[in-house]
Amino acid sequence: MSGTPPAPVAARPSPGPIPVVLAVPPAVPGVPPPTRGAGRRRIRPAHSFGTHVRAALLFLVLSVLVSGFAYPLFVTEVAQVIDPGAANGSLLHYPNGTVAGSSLIAQNTSAPYLFWARPSLTDYNTTLGAATPPGPTDPALGALLNETLSYMRAYGNFTVNASLPFWWVAPSGSSVDPDLTPEAVLVQIPRVSEATNLSIAYLTAFVNDHIQEPVIPFVGVPYVDVLSLDLDLLPLIGR
Amino acid sequence: MGGAFELQSLGDVILLLALALAAAPWFGAYLGRVYMDRPLPGDLVLTRIESGIYRLLGTSPRRSMPAGEYMLALLLVNGGMLAFLFFFFFDQSALPLNPTSVPNMSWDLAFHSASSFTTNTDYTHFTNESQISFGAIIIAWQLALFLSAATGLAVMAAMIRGFVRKDGTLGNFYVDMVRTILRVLLPISIVGALILVLLGVPETYTATVIAHPITGGSQTIYLGPVASFQSMSLLGTNGGGWYSANMASPLANPSAVSNLFAVFIMLLIPFSAPFAFAQIIRRKGEAWPFVGTVLIVLVVALGLFIAFQAATNPGIATVANLGAQTNGYPVGQETRFSLPEASLFQVVSVYGNVGANNMAIGSVTPVAQMVLLFGMFTQSTPGGEGTGFGMLLLFAVLAIFVGGLMVGRTPEYLGKKIETSHLKWAALALLIHPATILIPFVLSVAGGFVDLNGANLPTTAHNFTSVLYEFTSESANNGSALSTGAFNDTTPFFNLVGAAVMLIGRFVPIWAMLKVGDLFARQEALPPNSGTLRTSSGTFTVYLTLFLIITSALLFLPVLAMGPLAQIVGGM
Repeated sequence: MSGTPPAPVAARPSPGPIPVVLAVPPAVPGVPPPTRGAGRRRIRPAHSFGTHVRAALLFLVLSVLVSGFAYPLFVTEVAQVIDPGAANGSLLHYPNGTVAGSSLIAQNTSAPYLFWARPSLTDYNTTLGAATPPGPTDPALGALLNETLSYMRAYGNFTVNASLPFWWVAPSGSSVDPDLTPEAVLVQIPRVSEATNLSIAYLTAFVNDHIQEPVIPFVGVPYVDVLSLDLDLLPLIGR
Repeated sequence: MGGAFELQSLGDVILLLALALAAAPWFGAYLGRVYMDRPLPGDLVLTRIESGIYRLLGTSPRRSMPAGEYMLALLLVNGGMLAFLFFFFFDQSALPLNPTSVPNMSWDLAFHSASSFTTNTDYTHFTNESQISFGAIIIAWQLALFLSAATGLAVMAAMIRGFVRKDGTLGNFYVDMVRTILRVLLPISIVGALILVLLGVPETYTATVIAHPITGGSQTIYLGPVASFQSMSLLGTNGGGWYSANMASPLANPSAVSNLFAVFIMLLIPFSAPFAFAQIIRRKGEAWPFVGTVLIVLVVALGLFIAFQAATNPGIATVANLGAQTNGYPVGQETRFSLPEASLFQVVSVYGNVGANNMAIGSVTPVAQMVLLFGMFTQSTPGGEGTGFGMLLLFAVLAIFVGGLMVGRTPEYLGKKIETSHLKWAALALLIHPATILIPFVLSVAGGFVDLNGANLPTTAHNFTSVLYEFTSESANNGSALSTGAFNDTTPFFNLVGAAVMLIGRFVPIWAMLKVGDLFARQEALPPNSGTLRTSSGTFTVYLTLFLIITSALLFLPVLAMGPLAQIVGGM
C-alpha cells in the first residue's frame, strides 16, 4: 500500500519554511496513519460460485459416508469385541435363556412377592419414551404423590401412616429408573416376606448382598438394581 | 444441611472440573495448532488424506476466503445439510434402516427437526422411540452432530484469525471443516464412544429386543449404536439423545461414572477454546479472563442449583407420610446419581449449550429452572461449540468499548482498535437473542397458540416458564426442554416459528462473528502503549464477568419476574 507520499529529499538541508509539511499532518501517538478505503477494500474471492456449490455437495457426501457409515460401523465392531455384554444392552435372562429384560430398564414388578421399582408415568412402556413429572408448583404433583402413596400402602401391607421413602414414591426422570435406594428396598421386605414365607432376616441379608456400592469411592450413591434382585429372588421362592 | 445430600460427592464434582481445566491448556494449544496449520501428531497419515480431500473438493489451504465468501461456503454446506435432513425425515418410512416401521414426519415437524439438528440445537418435538427411524438417526441426524459442531469451531477459528491477519481473509471454510472433523471430532468421539461402551452403553446392530417381564406382558428394549451417537452428541455440544429421556435414560447414561465422563466430554472443547485463542494470537495470558469468567458463572450457577435442589419443595407440603428428603429433591431424578453429580451434568449441559438432560428439568425447583434459563441467556459461559467462545469474544469487545468510554481511553483489543462498526455487529449478535425469544413468545400468547390460564398463579407462572424456556432454548441453540405438557408444542405454529427462531439464532450471530473477525482482519495492529487496557489481568476478568452478568440480567429480568420468580412467590 502507498498511503504516504515519499519525503521531499531536496528540502532536507534547507533551514527555511517547508510548504510540504502542510500536506503531511503531524503524527499523533495512538492514531494510525489514514488508510483511506482500506476498511472497504475488496479482496479477491478464493473460488467461483460454481466451485463452491460443487465443493459443498462433495463435502456433504463425504461427511455422510464418514458420520453415517464408517464411524458407527467401526465403533460397533470394536465395541462388540471389548464389551459384548454392555454393547448388547446389559440383558438379563431366565434360566431357560429367554430375555427377561435389561438391568438398565425398570419393569412393572408390582406383584406382592417381588420388589417394586419406582413408579413410571409411562407404565414402563419404552415406546412412549419418557414423561416429565408435574412441575414443582403444579397442584397435580401433590395429587400424583398422594395417589402413589395410597396405592403403595394399600397393596404393600404397610401400617397406616407408615412413612415411605421419597426416592421410592417419586417418579423418575427417565420413567424407567432401574434402581432403588437401599432404604426403598428394605422398606418392602415385610410385604415380600409375607408373600413368600421367607424370613425378614433372610431377606434383609439377601437385599444387603445386592446393594451396589460406588465403584470409585464417593462417585455415585449406593443403590439396588431391582430387576436383578427380583430375578435372583425367583429361584428362592420356586417360581 | 447435614444429610441433605451426599456432601462427599461434591469432592468428585470439584475434581472433575479441575481435570477438565487441567486438560484445557494442553488441548487448547492442540486446537490452536489445528487451525494455524502447524505440525501435529498424526500428520504422516492425515495430511495425505486431507490433501486428497482438498483436491477432490477443488480447494486448497492456500485459498483463504474473505468473510462474505466464508459465510457463503458455510451456508451452502449447512443449507445442503438442512435439505438432506428435511427430505430424509419427511420420507423416512421408505428410506433404509427402518426396522420399527416408523411413519414419515409431517412436513412441519420434519422442517423443525432438520433446523434443530443443523443449528446444533437438537430440540426435539417428537418421541425418539416411535417417531424417528434408526436410519434417520444414524445417517441424517448423526451427520448434523458432526457438521454443526465443526461449523461452530470453524467460525471460531475464522473469527480469531481476524486478530492476527492483515490481509482481510479469514481462512478456508472447507479446510477448517475437514481438519476439525479429522483432527478433533472423529478421534475424540471414537475414544469417547468406546469408553461409554465400557461403562455400559449399548453399541450394536440390533435395533430392538423384546423382553418378557416376570409379571407377564412384553417390553421393547430399544438398542442400536447408542454409544457412538451419544459420544458425538456430547462432544459436539449438540445434546441430542438416542432415547427421548436423553442422558437420564439408564441405557445412555448407566452410572455415576458415565455421568461424570459425559461432563468431561462436554467441557473439553468449550474449556479449551480460550486456550486455542491464546495459542493463535500468541499471547498465553489472554486465555485466563475468559476461563475465569466462564468458571465464575458456572460455579455460582452450580452452587445455586445444588442448594435449591437440596431444599424442600413447599409445593408438596400437604403430602403426608412422605419420608425425609435425602440426596436432594427426587422428583424427576435418577437414583444412581448423587445430587451434586446430577446437578453438575445438568448445569454444564445447559450452560455449555449442549442441552442434554440427565433429569426431567421440568420437575426441578423454580430457582433451579431460573439458573438454567440464565445460562441460555448468556449463551457464552461456556456456550456452544465454537460459537459460545465467539459470543464471549463479542462480549469482550463490547465490554472493552464501554470500559474505554468510562475511563476515557481509546478502546482497543490486542492492538486492534474497536470502532462503531465492530460494535454494531457485536450488539446485533447480543440483541437478536432477546428478540428471537420475546417476539415469538408474545406472538404465541397473543395469537392464542398457548393458554396461560391455569387454576392458580403457580400453574400460570409455570406454563409461562415453559413457553419462555422453549423459545430461549431454541434461540440459544441449546435444545433442553421443560416438556411439562403445559402446552402442545408439536403444532405447525410451534414447529415453524421454532425453526425460524433456531435458524436466526444460529446464523445471524455467526455472521456477526465473521464480520467482526473481518473488520479486525483489515486492521493493522498497533503497538501497545501506556493507554492500553491490560486484558489479561484479574481486574479485566472481574469486569468482563460483571459486564456479562449485568447485560444478560438487564435484557431478561422482566420475563424472569413473570415466570420463575412468580412461581417462587406463588408457591410459597
